[in-house]
Amino acid sequence: MKARAQKLKVLVVDDEASVLMTYRLILEQQGYDVAAAATSREAIDAVKENDFDLILCDFSLEQQHSGFEVIDAARRKDPNVPCVLLTGYATLETADQAKQNGIEVLYKPIDIAEFLHTTSRLTRLKHESNQEER
Amino acid sequence: MRLKSLELVSSDRSALPDSGGRVPAALRLLQAERSEEIYPILLEEIVRLGFPRALILAVDFESGAITPAAAIRYQEKQLPRFHTSLFAADNPLVGVMHELKPTVVRKTDYSSRPLYCHPIIYRNANVCWEAERERKVDCLATDNYRARRRLDLDSQVCRTCEMRAYSALAVVELHKKPPARQMQELGALIELSNRYLSRLYKIEHYYNRMSDMEVTISQMNSVMMSMADPVILTDAHHQVIMQNQAAARFFKLPEVTTEGLVRAVELNNMLFSAALSSMAMAPGETHRDLTLVDASEGEELLFEAVSVPSYSRDGIPSGMVTVMRDVTDLRRADQELQANYEKLRIAEDIVRQDRDRLNLVLENVGDPIVVADSDAKTVLFDPLAQALFGPLTETTANTVQVKNQAVLDAYISAFTFSFANTESQTLKLIDPSSKQEVEYDARSGKIYDERGQVAYTVTVLRDFSAIRKLEQLKVERRMLEIEKFAAAGRLAATIAHEVNNPMEAIKNAIYLLAGRVNPEAEPVYDILKSETERVARIVRQMLGLYRNQESVKPVNVNTLIEDTLLLLARQLQRADVEVVHDFGDLPPAVVAADQLRQVFSNLVINAKDSMTGGGKLWIRTRQVARRHDLHGWIRILIADTGSGIPPELIDTIFEPFVTTKGEKGTGLGLWIVKGIIGNHGGRLSVRSKVGKGTVFKIELPVVRL
Repeated sequence: MKARAQKLKVLVVDDEASVLMTYRLILEQQGYDVAAAATSREAIDAVKENDFDLILCDFSLEQQHSGFEVIDAARRKDPNVPCVLLTGYATLETADQAKQNGIEVLYKPIDIAEFLHTTSRLTRLKHESNQEER
Repeated sequence: MRLKSLELVSSDRSALPDSGGRVPAALRLLQAERSEEIYPILLEEIVRLGFPRALILAVDFESGAITPAAAIRYQEKQLPRFHTSLFAADNPLVGVMHELKPTVVRKTDYSSRPLYCHPIIYRNANVCWEAERERKVDCLATDNYRARRRLDLDSQVCRTCEMRAYSALAVVELHKKPPARQMQELGALIELSNRYLSRLYKIEHYYNRMSDMEVTISQMNSVMMSMADPVILTDAHHQVIMQNQAAARFFKLPEVTTEGLVRAVELNNMLFSAALSSMAMAPGETHRDLTLVDASEGEELLFEAVSVPSYSRDGIPSGMVTVMRDVTDLRRADQELQANYEKLRIAEDIVRQDRDRLNLVLENVGDPIVVADSDAKTVLFDPLAQALFGPLTETTANTVQVKNQAVLDAYISAFTFSFANTESQTLKLIDPSSKQEVEYDARSGKIYDERGQVAYTVTVLRDFSAIRKLEQLKVERRMLEIEKFAAAGRLAATIAHEVNNPMEAIKNAIYLLAGRVNPEAEPVYDILKSETERVARIVRQMLGLYRNQESVKPVNVNTLIEDTLLLLARQLQRADVEVVHDFGDLPPAVVAADQLRQVFSNLVINAKDSMTGGGKLWIRTRQVARRHDLHGWIRILIADTGSGIPPELIDTIFEPFVTTKGEKGTGLGLWIVKGIIGNHGGRLSVRSKVGKGTVFKIELPVVRL
């Protein structure tokens, strides 16, 4: 991590403020540059303005909005951005849909070790592919 | 009356008093006791008066012949000359007869001397006894006495006492012209003789009448005695005057008697007398039943007594004639007839009561009952059966009843002509009021006649719809329980999810606090951490369970319909159903795909089943905009050209177990359809016309993800 001049940028989206805050703190603890969004609107705006290395998004957002919308928006900007769907609801179909679209799914309550492992794996993959591009 | 001999004279003269040797003529005549004695005495007295000779010519009114009846001092050979007839008009003697006037005939063929002719005829100054008794004046005796007229042959019979008169002519020969005194004496003598003769004649007539009457009486008596029925003549005081043998059996004590017989006879007499008295009290009544005891047999016999009052010649009631007819046998037969009739009536009553009771039972069994005869022809329906099959006597116009009858007839015929004694089978009949098919469990038995032939079959139909309804109710209850369970599951899942988010935050917060807590607080932190992990596990478990169920996702409804049609293609083809689909552009619908496939499948199969002879199936989908709705609706129309749904069923078709398909249908298809559409926030409606077809309309809300 010391080697890195620039911190990896992570977007975390959850409509529950407390959950959102704890995710942000955990990720910052890990040394990520964390952007937090509580609504799909905020999240989509953030996606438009920044290039994220990882997007962690709750499945069910405010007013029937879905995490897929945010992911769709991020993918439109960067098709290769790793995305993780955080969900308590998601049925098998949702999981299937996510998998088909190359989206990782983490079921709440999320085991923190798994959470940290997944985020680091995905950011490393992203970072590696970015370097290959260069 | 006729004289046997001309010499016949009064023989018993010794009895006469002899006063100087000569008994006066009047006394001699008085001594005569018989009419035949008069003429000889008269002739003797005529000679005694000094006349030479005399004779009596008697008239026979039957033949009109006039013959000598007695003569004195005539030689026998001289007499035949006098034979003549009342019709010999030229005979002067006959003329005297006709004139009824004593005359002296001077010149005759009989004698050269003059003849004194004195006609004699039955006559009297007083009416005969009969006329006197009957208070009549019409008497021949007085008629002849009063009238001096020509002798009339026809009228010489008394109209009152029927006595035939006699007539004769006393002919006295005169030798010379006799002195007038002698002639007077002669006339007086002859008249006197005639007086006595008339009297004797009358007596003899009554004696003859009496003998005749005796004959008649004895004849009547033998008639009466020979009658088998008792005949009794009673006087005004109901005392028995006369009775025949048949009556004597009951009312007269036999020679050899016993105490019992005496009592029986006494009783009979008492009863008879009482019957007579009561009949006398009731003038109109002539018949009366009377029970008498046969004194010799000791047997009670029933008689019908007919009494007729008898009257004396004066018209005064003199008693009663009672004829009794033995009606014992007749009455016994009558009573037996009556008893038999009564028995019959009682038997009929019992039969009627039995029948009524049976009918009552039949009416209250609560199941339709059908009785058919040996030809499988129905002869009895109970009221419930009548509702199903129509009245027995007339042919029903109700098509449902006609159909039911056909089903029933087929079943009963098969059973009647089978060898089975009993039979049970399920009959599908249609309830005429609800038009719904009802399954009846038909149970039949045979009733045999005394020859062992099938006389009747009895079929009891048991309606299973009640039991089935109960089963339906049970299923519904079970489904409700399942639904409750599912709801509980959903509630649990909701709670788990709601818990999930705050717990996620707690869990994260605990992680963040790791290594930062006061070492003294470490054990507390560990508890916090482990217990939170525990809650997390529970929640994860619950949510994991829920996650396994089918979830809603955006799908294209058109695709779902196409999937369904593909699946049912062969069935539809076999049923000769042409499918016409018209799919509009649709936004993805957020639905449970499998559930919606079920909906389409149910509706398409229903449509197919309603088109028994083939038909067309239209499916059209459109997105429709609606005011107040953000995204509009997806509308799906499924229409068929089938038999349609009767209006009375249209309101209930979405209820569970309502079916128009009978056994084939579960009655759940449309109920499931309604449930699924309802769960998706959709709407479902139906329009149908019997014989034309049915259209189902589904509207699903468009949900944007």
